[in-house]
Amino acid sequence: MFKIARGRINSWQVLGAVIFMIFQVIATLYIPNLTSDIVNKGVITGDTNYIIHAGIEMVVVSFITAIAAFGNVLMASQASQGLGRKLRSDLFKKILYFTHDEFDKFETSSLTTRTTNDVIQIQNVMIMMLRMMIMAPIMLIGASFMAYQKNAEMTKIFLVSIPILIVIVGLVMFFAVPLFKAMQKKTDRLNLVFREGLTGVRVIRAFRQDTFEQDRFKDANADYTNNAVKVFSIVAIMFPVVTLVMSGTNVGITWLGAHYIANQSMQIGNMIAFMTYAMQILMSFMILSMVFVFVPRASASAARIQEVFETESKIDVVAKPAKVKDEPSLSFNDVNFRYHGAERLALANLNFKVTKGQALAIIGGTGSGKSTLINLIPRFYDAETGVVSLNGTDVKALSTEDINSRVSMVPQKAILFKGTIRDNMAYGKEGATDDEIWHALEIAQAADFVKELDGQLDGEVEQGGDNFSGGQKQRLAIARALVKDASIYVFDDSFSALDFKTDLNLRTALKNDEKISQAVVVIVGQRISTVADADQIVVLDNGKMVGLGTHQELKENNKTYQEIIESQLKEGK
Amino acid sequence: MAEKKTESPSMGHGHGPGRGPAIVVKPKNFWKTSGRLAKYMSTYVVGIVVVLALAIASAVFQIKTPKILGQATTEIYKGLMTGVAQQKAGIKINGLPINFDKIEHIIFIVIMMYLASAAFNFIQQFVMTRISQRTVYKLRRDLKGKMERLPISYYDSHSNGDIMSRAINDMDNIAGTLQQSLTQLVTSSVTFVGIIWMMFTISWKLTLIALATVPLSLIVVGLIAPQSQKFFKRQQASLGLLNNQVEENYSGHVVVKSFNHEQESIDEFEKENAKLYKASWKAQLISGIVMPMMNFLNNLGYVFVAMYGGIQVANGGIALGDIQAFLQYMNQFSQPIAQLANLTNTIQATVASAERVFEILDEPEMENTKVDVPDVQTDDKVTLDHVKFGYEGNPILLEDYNLNVKPGEMVAIVGPTGAGKTTIINLLERFYDVSGGSIKLDGKDIRNMSREQVRSHYAMVLQDTWLFTGSIYDNLKYSREDATRDEIIEAAKAAHVDNFVRQLPDGYDTVLNEEASNISQGQRQLITIARAFVANPEILILDEATSSVDTRTELHIQHAMERLLKNRTSFVVAHRLSTIQGADKIIVMNHGSIVETGNHEELMAKNGFYADLYNSQFAGNVAL
Repeated sequence: MFKIARGRINSWQVLGAVIFMIFQVIATLYIPNLTSDIVNKGVITGDTNYIIHAGIEMVVVSFITAIAAFGNVLMASQASQGLGRKLRSDLFKKILYFTHDEFDKFETSSLTTRTTNDVIQIQNVMIMMLRMMIMAPIMLIGASFMAYQKNAEMTKIFLVSIPILIVIVGLVMFFAVPLFKAMQKKTDRLNLVFREGLTGVRVIRAFRQDTFEQDRFKDANADYTNNAVKVFSIVAIMFPVVTLVMSGTNVGITWLGAHYIANQSMQIGNMIAFMTYAMQILMSFMILSMVFVFVPRASASAARIQEVFETESKIDVVAKPAKVKDEPSLSFNDVNFRYHGAERLALANLNFKVTKGQALAIIGGTGSGKSTLINLIPRFYDAETGVVSLNGTDVKALSTEDINSRVSMVPQKAILFKGTIRDNMAYGKEGATDDEIWHALEIAQAADFVKELDGQLDGEVEQGGDNFSGGQKQRLAIARALVKDASIYVFDDSFSALDFKTDLNLRTALKNDEKISQAVVVIVGQRISTVADADQIVVLDNGKMVGLGTHQELKENNKTYQEIIESQLKEGK
Repeated sequence: MAEKKTESPSMGHGHGPGRGPAIVVKPKNFWKTSGRLAKYMSTYVVGIVVVLALAIASAVFQIKTPKILGQATTEIYKGLMTGVAQQKAGIKINGLPINFDKIEHIIFIVIMMYLASAAFNFIQQFVMTRISQRTVYKLRRDLKGKMERLPISYYDSHSNGDIMSRAINDMDNIAGTLQQSLTQLVTSSVTFVGIIWMMFTISWKLTLIALATVPLSLIVVGLIAPQSQKFFKRQQASLGLLNNQVEENYSGHVVVKSFNHEQESIDEFEKENAKLYKASWKAQLISGIVMPMMNFLNNLGYVFVAMYGGIQVANGGIALGDIQAFLQYMNQFSQPIAQLANLTNTIQATVASAERVFEILDEPEMENTKVDVPDVQTDDKVTLDHVKFGYEGNPILLEDYNLNVKPGEMVAIVGPTGAGKTTIINLLERFYDVSGGSIKLDGKDIRNMSREQVRSHYAMVLQDTWLFTGSIYDNLKYSREDATRDEIIEAAKAAHVDNFVRQLPDGYDTVLNEEASNISQGQRQLITIARAFVANPEILILDEATSSVDTRTELHIQHAMERLLKNRTSFVVAHRLSTIQGADKIIVMNHGSIVETGNHEELMAKNGFYADLYNSQFAGNVAL
């Protein structure tokens, strides 16, 4: 918790919060002192003027307390929210530069939670700390000091009440905290089962598993309820006992006080003040004990955040990156690759080379490694052995930034961002002209529906591109990639969402485009028709390259390729 | 936010940090819903009466004690004053003449009261925890049970998010309130009235002075609350935008990266982040200064009471112990006010929550009214006889539709996206019932069978690859409980599941997580297919099931299917022509209705919608 706050929180503001808090505590502690003075010097002697005088002093001190409290809140708010801002910012930056490996490791939803909810947790605990938790020790010390001054003998009473408090609170925590943790898990389980009942309603009913569902939920529900009853029963002990200890302390003070006053070793006003101090001391203890509740909660969040910060990118940052050459080409030499921690190679022994103006197609079944192959080009992953070369240079010698400026990718899943069409196209090329954008849209067969949009290029794209159909999204994603000036254009199964006709038009337009025809085009596909006119076709099966050649060659002598054709011929003819 | 948490001894429920002050939702019918909620607790009526009695008793004792303890102070003071007077009169004394017997007596009473109060309080909470948790347990159970009896049309017309929020958030609200707020409401009210009463019994003048600060506090709250709301709203809005940005950029990181767009994304993020910071620290500040200001006002009251009271005591008009007690009452006084103010919001929100839960419980359930359609002797497996159907409130989609499916026949359902191809499946599985005509299974109207009976004849593979959180093995077994391990493995092999499952670290015991992100989409699809194989049904329904499996895998599956489909009737919603062409009957759909029915040759000869659809798929297929 403190680790991630260090260097990110404004220490001046923290210091300010502490100083204001000290003032606030001193002023707060001064008030019982004044009360005792009113009793001792005013009430007992019947000095009305003194009472009024002390009263005015009290108002002033209260005012100072309020001002100090304001200062503390101001500093605490800025410091805690500032910390949140900095954490969010650092996390976002760090995560945005994560590679695929790290995204695989954490999963997107978990990273989102870490950047949003976890940071908010930290923020909340931080403001509580700066406002209440630092108050507790200061108050504790101050009140103890004041109490000791009023009557040193009587402070012995705390030797009884404080240990009792600690034991009680400790016991409750000891039993309750693990149960609270378990409760979180049980809540999750309850939600999960209920949600699955919603999302799977058709399947559940079709397989007549309603009873199984009800039982599953009943178990989760009972489990949760039993746990909750246990937790809250334990917690129920705390409040009454703590109140009892505090009240008992008051009683003790009165009893001892009576004796001290009787033998004239204490003034009666001091006894009243002592009671107030006693309450402040015990309250501070209670607040301190809350540290044990809130800090673990926050430290779980802190640990999750820290885990992100400590994750080092698997891709080695090239110290002195080479500069990418201009002549487009792509080659794989004896490339092997396996996913992190996997037993089996995901790609084995890949060899091929494509040069300027050529198209390479990759075909194969699900899980054959098509997308994996593609991911090696922009160094989303690095090859285990062998060399992937971009424009004649080993990609491992290049910075990812440089690679990305040369490789234009259309991922399998079309991803659009909230904004306008133009904003999305500008991803491909900062400050692209309208002509360039329209040209790319034409090739991508997207110009027609963009023209019909309200505002055309300024037409709105909702979050995730939800206002477009799957095929439209895909075409926009293709257009975005085409706006970019690159050496290599990669289409990762981008055409499968398109109907045959659009697919054909798009590929024809690609072939005839001046810019694209000077580059290397890599197409991953499942349809024979999509890949057939490529200059070279890589046939993948189970991560192995089982064929390389043109459509004609493969059709004649490659068994896997023939199988694929056969399966599609059945549709086609 | 922080200060609201501190008073609650419970840590689990209530508003979590980060939500800001809850925006109050008003229930539509407060009393009716409250009454209904009360009915849920009616089995515990004895317990509740006990709880309330104990809560009141505990509060009363707690209120009485300061005044009684104050009497002890007064005794000390009396002794002190007498002693001082004696000393002044020149009498030599060994100690002040304090009446220790009386003080002892007072202290004994006070301790008894404290003990009783604590014990009552504990018992009260102990019992209430059980009552509230069990009540919510029942409510949850009933809700889940209700979900089983609701028709599919309910699921289709309500978003999962909405239902979830009722089942989770609203349920949480109810649990928290039953546990805490109910007794708090009683305790706070009793304490509030009790404290004022006790204050009046000490001195009505002091009480009026003390109460004078109340309107001031109200003004402060009235001024600050709207401001604070404003900033919290702004903070919420900013947070929402920021969360969207985070999600978008993380899920689209491939694109962000490959276009070297990191810096631009960061710049945009920082802009929103700065806005959020501005709104949130102000929100925190404004909500944070309420407490110090209230304290200040409270202190003002305290000072005036101390001054006036001090003078009174000095003049002998009031006992010192009374002032001491009075000051304690003043300190306690603001607590129940704040609590009651919070409670009105909490309770309103809870009743609104209960209302939303009850709304689901009140939804009409599925009915199973038998129809007067006689059984017929037929060799059809499935018969659609003059079927008429339309979704409720929507136009009629099917009118006078007839179809006879013989055992072992394959029926393909085709049409463009959004043509309503699932409608037929909805009817066959009795997710929806026909509005006219009859659907028969083996000659018997399916409305004259139970839904379970109908469904026992089918197995289904949906496009949405739903698997539950559990092991792969359990997911396969899901479709038929008495399936043996061998049968399951065999089915897995037939669906090409066995191979990849064995490569997973835990094999068949691999637990699929909620999004089943530990296996690929295609593999999930295969598992759902295997699950249908395990079911070994008479009739198979495939809803675009093979569309996310690539052609080569599909080829394998088709071989396996041909084997498994033998002597089995099937309905297949398909895009793939290979499936369609082999079908005995093809149902062609468009805009929700059936436009043509027949086999491939018939439909091609017709040269209608189907022929159009079919030909368009080959327009681009040049290279073959």
